[in-house]
Amino acid sequence: MPLIYYVSCSIILFFIGLYCLIMKRNMIRLLMGLEIMMNAVNLNFIAFSSRAAEGAVHPLAHVFAILSISIGGCVIALGLVLTIYAYRHYGTLDVRELRRLRR
Amino acid sequence: MLTRLLGIMIMSTLSTPLIGLIGKRIKREKLLVTVFAVSIILCIFAIVLTSLLGIIKSHQYYVFMEDLSLPERPIFKADLISTFMAATSSGICFLALLFSARIIPEVKVTAYFSVFLGILTSIFGIVSSEDFFTLYIFWEAMCICSYTLVSFNKVRSETIEAGYKYLIMSSSGAIIILFALSFLYGLTGTLNFQILSQSLSQARGNPLVHLAVLMLLVGFGLQAGVVPFHTWLPDALCAAPSAASAFLSACVEKMGLYCLLKIFFVIFNSFYDEWRIPIAVFAVLSMFVGNFSALLQDDLKRLFAYSTIANTGYILVGVAVGTSKALAGSIFHILNHAIVTALLFLCVGAFISQTRTRSLRKLAGIRHTMPWTSLAFLIGVLSLATFPFLNIFWSELLIITSSWETGMIWLSFLMIINLMFSAAYSLRVVQAIAVKGTTYISRKAREAPLSMITPIFILAIAIIFIGVYPSLLQSLSEKIVNSSLRVTS
Repeated sequence: MPLIYYVSCSIILFFIGLYCLIMKRNMIRLLMGLEIMMNAVNLNFIAFSSRAAEGAVHPLAHVFAILSISIGGCVIALGLVLTIYAYRHYGTLDVRELRRLRR
Repeated sequence: MLTRLLGIMIMSTLSTPLIGLIGKRIKREKLLVTVFAVSIILCIFAIVLTSLLGIIKSHQYYVFMEDLSLPERPIFKADLISTFMAATSSGICFLALLFSARIIPEVKVTAYFSVFLGILTSIFGIVSSEDFFTLYIFWEAMCICSYTLVSFNKVRSETIEAGYKYLIMSSSGAIIILFALSFLYGLTGTLNFQILSQSLSQARGNPLVHLAVLMLLVGFGLQAGVVPFHTWLPDALCAAPSAASAFLSACVEKMGLYCLLKIFFVIFNSFYDEWRIPIAVFAVLSMFVGNFSALLQDDLKRLFAYSTIANTGYILVGVAVGTSKALAGSIFHILNHAIVTALLFLCVGAFISQTRTRSLRKLAGIRHTMPWTSLAFLIGVLSLATFPFLNIFWSELLIITSSWETGMIWLSFLMIINLMFSAAYSLRVVQAIAVKGTTYISRKAREAPLSMITPIFILAIAIIFIGVYPSLLQSLSEKIVNSSLRVTS
């Protein structure tokens, strides 16, 4: 398949994640949106790596993708920790409720 | 010199778990852990300062693993700008830790110092990396440590909320950076700064490159607090412990500006001319929004957070003008604002620890009961108000005159208007602290302990010293621009 399919797929995924970040109100869903965007970028890297050399894949992109997956795991873990604490404080996962409860 | 910088990174990475280990073994030995961490940071600061002086004297930079035939390799490089930023950050970090030695609760002391050291290490990584791969990893490490630092005081709901907001915004910014990097990688097949800049100068007119520059501007500008993306900054700086907000506002936020400088004057310097006007628009927006929001603010930490946004705008004015004089002004202003904002947040921290409030109205007249802290605080606020012969005056003068000389008169005019606003709110703070009578809260306050006064006074003396004798650091920042950045015009 040509490269443009993969790249357009990753762009569509990126915008789905962005939509999720902007429109959704649930704290866990926002983290999911981040995860979708991250995966879109990783797909983009992997797709471009096949083009760099004839008949082979470029190692840089693969290393980058693996590292960015692990970094993404760290970020999401921290986000879930904060979500748990927020739930303990407010008893809800709605982002709008957090703003309303602030004094 | 570079091996020294890398050695520091290894040293602080190793000492981060070591601090945790010591803290776990020796229960309730807060003093020991504090002394250990503070002395490590002091060592780091001394080493970085000596290597900065060495680089200034020898006029050369140091590269680790530079081999352009292997573009995949990570490269570390210590030139003047990176050592300068590293020295600034480690100095501020030392003072912030010294300040917070007395006030952090005992159970959290190891986590606190580990997170600080983690941020400092990643800052060293960011400033010394010479390819996007390494830079991105250290960038994310810095961001993760900062989220922890913002939501450190987890019993209060405000901090959790601010930390979550910071996490969502800043990591979406990091993902936008990553997306831009994937396009740059697709276009050129490398992420090395040098090779990237060579091959991009032939790819002029490609819309994808401009898209990538826009995404990098958004992603790094988000960390720097540039205006449409600034909303996390006041919340995060309010919620963090005071020493942490001093460190975040003085160093972490400046890393975004450092990366923008690196992007526009090292990597994309052939595209810089098309991006002058957008940067100027961002700068003007940041100045106006920051200053207007700070104008009627009662919460002192929020006020200084907004003034941080406005000062980001001033630095971006220098970037938008883009002559070597203006860039020297920007770099000088990065140092000056780091010192001033660290001083102000530390003073507010001292007020909070003595009176449990940060409302300007309740703190009125506090100079009667906390004379020394208030004296240093007033020096900082006057410097923020562009008082002549204090440090910020000189860097702002440099930026304004250089933008005037380049013909961007409207930009310098807008900046002068903004300086008037900042003088207005600074004088409001001065009036409340020094002129008004005491309230029932400020009457009961006691002077802060010596471990808090010492770092505050070191910063205040630095402000006065730079203000009286600016030519030393001014010539240093001109040297930095000439040696480390590629100025086209």
